[in-house]
Amino acid sequence: MADDTPQGRPCPQADLSCAGGEAGIYAGMAGSGKLECDHTAWNEQLRLRPKISIRFRLILAFSIIFVFCAAITVWMFYAVSTVQHKIHFLEVAESYVNEIQQVRRFEKNYLLYGTNLEDALGHLSRAQKLMAENRDKVIKVISLDHYRDIIRGTEEYAVLLRRIGDSRDVGERAEVESRLRRHGADMVRFAADFAERERQAVDSTFLLVKRVTFAFLVVLLVMMLVAALFINNEILKNLRYLRGYTDRIAAGDFTHITPRRWYRDEFTQLAMAINHMIDELERRQKILVESHKIRAVGNLVAGVAHELNNPLNNILLTSASLEEDYDLIPKEEQKEMIADIIGETERAQRIVRNLLDFARESETRIQRLDLNKTLQKAIDLVSNQVRIAKIRLETYLPENLPPVHGDEQLLGQVFVNLILNAVDVLPQGEGRITISVDKDRQDGYVAVSITDNGPGMPEHILRRIFDPFFTTKPEGKGTGLGLSVSRGIVQQLGGYIRVESEVGKGTTFTVFLPTTEIPFEPDKRQQAQQAPPEAA
Amino acid sequence: MNDKLRIMVVDDEAIVGKRLKPSLEREGYEVETFGDGTSALERMAQKEFDIIVTDVRMDDVDGMQILEHVRAHSPRSKVIIITGYATVELAREALVKGAFDFIAKPFKPGDLRAIIEKAAVELAQKE
Repeated sequence: MADDTPQGRPCPQADLSCAGGEAGIYAGMAGSGKLECDHTAWNEQLRLRPKISIRFRLILAFSIIFVFCAAITVWMFYAVSTVQHKIHFLEVAESYVNEIQQVRRFEKNYLLYGTNLEDALGHLSRAQKLMAENRDKVIKVISLDHYRDIIRGTEEYAVLLRRIGDSRDVGERAEVESRLRRHGADMVRFAADFAERERQAVDSTFLLVKRVTFAFLVVLLVMMLVAALFINNEILKNLRYLRGYTDRIAAGDFTHITPRRWYRDEFTQLAMAINHMIDELERRQKILVESHKIRAVGNLVAGVAHELNNPLNNILLTSASLEEDYDLIPKEEQKEMIADIIGETERAQRIVRNLLDFARESETRIQRLDLNKTLQKAIDLVSNQVRIAKIRLETYLPENLPPVHGDEQLLGQVFVNLILNAVDVLPQGEGRITISVDKDRQDGYVAVSITDNGPGMPEHILRRIFDPFFTTKPEGKGTGLGLSVSRGIVQQLGGYIRVESEVGKGTTFTVFLPTTEIPFEPDKRQQAQQAPPEAA
Repeated sequence: MNDKLRIMVVDDEAIVGKRLKPSLEREGYEVETFGDGTSALERMAQKEFDIIVTDVRMDDVDGMQILEHVRAHSPRSKVIIITGYATVELAREALVKGAFDFIAKPFKPGDLRAIIEKAAVELAQKE
């Protein structure tokens, strides 16, 4: 019956994932019963979140930086061309002011010394021409109204100059002369004021451009820092997280990656792929454990056959004696003999059942275990191998051990592997295996040590013994999987295996298993299993 | 001295001695049974046995050691080895070391009796 249960289950290969998952968090929720076991659930959870891809976020970030840079560039271009116009204007304004000042000099000469007025008028017309020629450039800087004011001013100046040349009346001449002087001064001041103001504007634009250049650098730096932070948080951190995960998987922890953020991205796909890989690894690990168990059963069969022959022999001797001498044997003794037959049959049954219990493919059931009992079962299984090899087996199993968490069959397999390994290396007759349990060697762990007084192993072999397919046994005898599988099982239960060896002295394998926090009380555990798993 | 053949049966399975003793005694043998090799060796120091039937695999002193002891101290005695798990190597080893014969578990009292009779014949021929 137990053999075909896996087929009836919705997800047979998830057995171990439950085991791993429960083992990983059992301290907080011990006894809450079997977890809901659907290995696609986490992937579903991972997939259901809104998608914000890293590509999208990178494009967004770089777009923002580009828009910012483009804005600064456009502004710079605008500022530089404004300055360019202003410089053109300043050139024009300077020439203009020069011409007007020439006009005023000739005008003064005319008025003081009576020289000709033609030179003054010539310079004025040159100033007018200058303005007319550079009209477009000028009105880019000063408004059209101001331009017109200047043109009107020069025209008026020309009119006044001609009037003073034509007027003969002293009174009129004095009046025109004072207007002319005032007008000339106004013209120069007007133009000079404009030029000065624009020069200042050019200066402040230059200052602004300098400042903006530095501000641009600072803002760009900040943006780059933000981008670096983003890359660190979203990419490097996730990479580190996933790398940590692969380390955990390598160490035998097969719990799935669970969602940590409210959105999903490219890393979600990677996480889902890793979860898929974990499922596959679990499945393969289970197959490996199972196939190695079959090898161990093969090793055990010889011993079991030997052991089985004892009760069979007792039964045959007793029943044959009964048959031969039925009438000679007193009634009392007949009864005793029949009782012997029954007792020995039961003994044979126990031997077979022990092996079948070990060999049976069954669901992994993580539960609190009495380590002494599990160890004793393993010892019973190998006891014949040990006896045939004439090895002395000593056990130190102290009472009141804290319970451990695990699957009885899998743990039994680990101990059987380790003991059979020791049996294989020990010489006939002189071998000694010591099995001891120590609850004080490390906090939160129970240490099961299996020590042999065999040949030991040198350092270069010791380093490789947990590697799959590494074996020191002759070809055809070892698969090189025993220790690798054992370590896988122990790691899944949150424990680890240590090995110490000295050439010529012997080897000690120590299995550290995490203890459960709550004292071992079978009744309470059953109650807790029936109750809804609120603790989870 | 009586002419009964003295047989020693050594097996750590108590039932073996318990069943073989009456069965062999009915055939006219003098039978002593022992549950371990050490007490068997002690008894051998006090008394000589003609035929020693011993299980090969025992915790303290095993059948091979008993065989060696008998060959060394009482070469005319016949040793019959009982094996729980018969292998060619073990049989060869036993015979090389001078065992008279061996019998694999499980066996009937009659099977052992037949071997003992053969041994008795051989013992009688030698004397």
